Amino acid sequence: MGERKVTVAAEVGLHARPAATFVKRAMQAPMDISVGKVHGGSPVNGKSILAILALDVRQGETIVISADGEGSEEILDELATIAGTP
Amino acid sequence: MTTVLAPVEGDAVGLSAVPDPVFSAGMVGPGTAIDPLRGPGVAVAPIAGTIVKLHPHAYVIVGEDGKGVLVHLGVDTVQLKGRGFRLLAAEGERVAAGRPVVAWDSALVEAGGRSPLCAVVALDAAPGVVTAVAEGAVRAGDELFRWE
Repeated sequence: MGERKVTVAAEVGLHARPAATFVKRAMQAPMDISVGKVHGGSPVNGKSILAILALDVRQGETIVISADGEGSEEILDELATIAGTP
Repeated sequence: MTTVLAPVEGDAVGLSAVPDPVFSAGMVGPGTAIDPLRGPGVAVAPIAGTIVKLHPHAYVIVGEDGKGVLVHLGVDTVQLKGRGFRLLAAEGERVAAGRPVVAWDSALVEAGGRSPLCAVVALDAAPGVVTAVAEGAVRAGDELFRWE
């Protein structure tokens, strides 16, 4: 299972534009994408805007993005970039 | 089928009118927007369910069937950090459709240089599933759209 740890940099956290951009990219991935907070809570479906908004990741919090399968490394890199963009 | 109610009184103008591409381009999901009546008001629950996320400027309610509806009060209102908003319900609370959730003042939001337009969005919904979208004047609690 590939994963990336990334600290969410946007002032609004993983909400609004960063959340919508993240989910839009995740939706294009053929494999499951999961997202969880490093500190506590179970991972949620990275393709669900509802799940991401409910996860409520604030600026400065670190998340783990996980995916498995062909092409997952590239997708994880892209998702980590989105989550880490201020 | 879920009937989604207008959370605030005003004019239903469509998501394309929201001056934020995240909403106007449908990136969050399909739905509509309400240009609210200016002044102090109360935003209500658009569906019955659990308040899974409650910010002063936005909230998400998930119905028993798992459908989630986002109400976002004004554009860039996260920057207000709750100023001018008062919570009338609690996160995790189960609410009936039409139950007051947040008290706010759309005129105050506008006076601060932000659009007071309220986006009402069906989360994780495909574009075609939102139908019977109201246009023009609506009161809080009126039928706003249907989610097939």
